[in-house]
Amino acid sequence: MKALKIVPERCTGCMRCELACSYMNTGAFQPSRSVIRVSAFEGHTSYSPYTCPQCDEGWCLTACPVEAISINSAGAKNVLDAACVGCKLCTIACPYGTIFYDPDQHTAFKCDLCGGAPACVDVCPRDAILYEEAETADWVGPFSADRAHGPGGALAAGVK
Amino acid sequence: MAKRHVIVGGGTSGWNAITTIREIDRGESEIVLVSAENPYSRMVLPYYLSREIGEAHVFTASETRLEALGVETRFGRRAASLNPNDNKLILDDEEEIAYDDLLIATGSSAVRPQLPGADGANVHSFWTLDQAREVTASLKPGVRVAMVGAGFISFTILNALLKRGAELTVIEIAPRILPRMVDDTGAEIVQGWLEERGVKILAGAEITSIEDASGGGKILKLKAGADIEVDLVIMATGIKTNLEWLEGSGVEVNGGVVINDHLRSSESNIYAAGDVAEGPERVGEGKAVHATEPTAMQHGRVAGANMAGVDTAYEGSLLVNIVDVLDLEIASFGNWDDEEAEVIQAVKKDRPAYRKLLFEGGRLVGAILLGRTRDIWATNDAGMLKGLIQSGCDLSEWKEHLRSNPFDIKRAYLAVGAAETLLPETLLGRPSVPERDIAVQQ
Ligand SMILES: Cc1cc2nc3c(=O)[nH]c(=O)nc-3n(C[C@H](O)[C@H](O)[C@H](O)COP(=O)(O)OP(=O)(O)OC[C@H]3O[C@@H](n4cnc5c(N)ncnc54)[C@H](O)[C@@H]3O)c2cc1C
Ligand code: SF4
Repeated sequence: MKALKIVPERCTGCMRCELACSYMNTGAFQPSRSVIRVSAFEGHTSYSPYTCPQCDEGWCLTACPVEAISINSAGAKNVLDAACVGCKLCTIACPYGTIFYDPDQHTAFKCDLCGGAPACVDVCPRDAILYEEAETADWVGPFSADRAHGPGGALAAGVK
Repeated sequence: MAKRHVIVGGGTSGWNAITTIREIDRGESEIVLVSAENPYSRMVLPYYLSREIGEAHVFTASETRLEALGVETRFGRRAASLNPNDNKLILDDEEEIAYDDLLIATGSSAVRPQLPGADGANVHSFWTLDQAREVTASLKPGVRVAMVGAGFISFTILNALLKRGAELTVIEIAPRILPRMVDDTGAEIVQGWLEERGVKILAGAEITSIEDASGGGKILKLKAGADIEVDLVIMATGIKTNLEWLEGSGVEVNGGVVINDHLRSSESNIYAAGDVAEGPERVGEGKAVHATEPTAMQHGRVAGANMAGVDTAYEGSLLVNIVDVLDLEIASFGNWDDEEAEVIQAVKKDRPAYRKLLFEGGRLVGAILLGRTRDIWATNDAGMLKGLIQSGCDLSEWKEHLRSNPFDIKRAYLAVGAAETLLPETLLGRPSVPERDIAVQQ
């Protein structure tokens, strides 16, 4: 199965993935509606995107009381808007924090791999997000752990 | 001869057990479902009440779907008693059903306090579809509603009542609202938020009787304070487990049917799941009755797998609850009320926002999250808090940082490798299959 493979070292923090993702989801450029989110590290000199790993359990999928989450042809867990009642059970069941709630539409939303042609991959100028045959993995963890201690990292003295 | 599974109760846990059995055996076994009500999801009733969804949306499995899954049904019938010595279930019309194994999934029912008038006209519970229909029919804009009880279930329907134009008074006997979902600090913020938005709240108020008013309304008499006159009373005063039919069966019962990590009761071919079961907790050693949807779903699936012959151990249930009222999100996780735990917390009163993290050593064991809907969903800390508790990752190095800002958990979450710890975990030891994709072999 193809998966989103993230190479944090390549990310420059340009946020194009967030813009493209929100545009795909809503037709407007609004990072708050993106399901891929770029985080800053080391006092804003390193960046990495983070999104749904399409985990095997599908915590969101199994939590939904009305079967509003399915698996699409790309193998991604996908919210069916018409069936979703907006109860948010999926958002607290997902231990990755990668399924969101839209306060305007009253529905949950998440990464559906754009049905097999992820827009974030297309627009990333640095190939920091790849769509290829890969095992799901914690792409951001080790990068983030390294940077927790560096200059200006969250664990450096005095950082709030 | 094919094995016969009998499922008693067609709610969340019963339905999940059925789909899991069929996912595994593709129709090889016999399944008989006995259920007092047709299968539906209670927890979406609030959206039916608010008219965001129609009644058809609440049902999980139609007769046609169950037939397609090879399930024989007895709807509108109740289990009356159980005889484990002969492996027989006896129904309320005296039909006897023999089983190879059986799942107790009878859930809970709403209870009302014993006070004069509690069963009178225009006094409702809100737990079943029938009750929801009654309340829905009685609502119109401007109707004065007294909501008795300010617990989680009460809060799940406040939005719907307000949306339908009800004028709301919430009466709680405990000194504060949401006594089993958030702490004092959280409750104070929620109460302030609601009062500013026109909801009347009386905490620490004891109702002595409910009487008829002359114009067709109801009068609630209080032990202290003025009478309250309304058009409609909703009693959200707690639930009890549906266990009566197990009396004399010998199945071990405490707060619920006591089950082990394979969802088995004291009788090895009798399983229990959902609100009716007292099962292992994810955090700590104990057992508890959760009476929540995620626990019922997980119980149902693990019980179903074991009934279908796939040995499956359960890690235990993690308590998670979320509710929003008038665009304020309220969520609590795990051991949020653990008095022994080390607490890190912060309040932003004017926003409002509240965050409480509970630690045992380096491990996060519980959390409370409270804030405006738009603030909460600008990030997704709810999921990450759940993930940190579930993964059990060591946060020792991050405590200092979290103490200075408990609202910033994402960096800690990423750096401790929570995702890496969590990714291999599945409930049944394999990828989940959407229920709609489960079918029997033709
Ligand atoms: C308004 C409302 C809102 C809720 N919101 C949430 C929420 O947001 N989050 C959350 O986690 N939980 C919520 N819940 C709780 C959740 O719905 C329950 O925890 C869940 O339904 C439990 O599933 P269950 O399978 O154990 O029991 P149920 O779903 O209650 O199913 C039990 C079934 O057994 C049948 N039955 C009972 N006795 C017998 C008998 N003797 N013989 C045969 N059949 C019998 C019943 O008719 C029913 O079909 C809510 C509940 C309500 C009412
Ligand atoms: S918010 Fe929607 S998709 Fe998520 S669990 Fe509720 S109904 Fe299902």
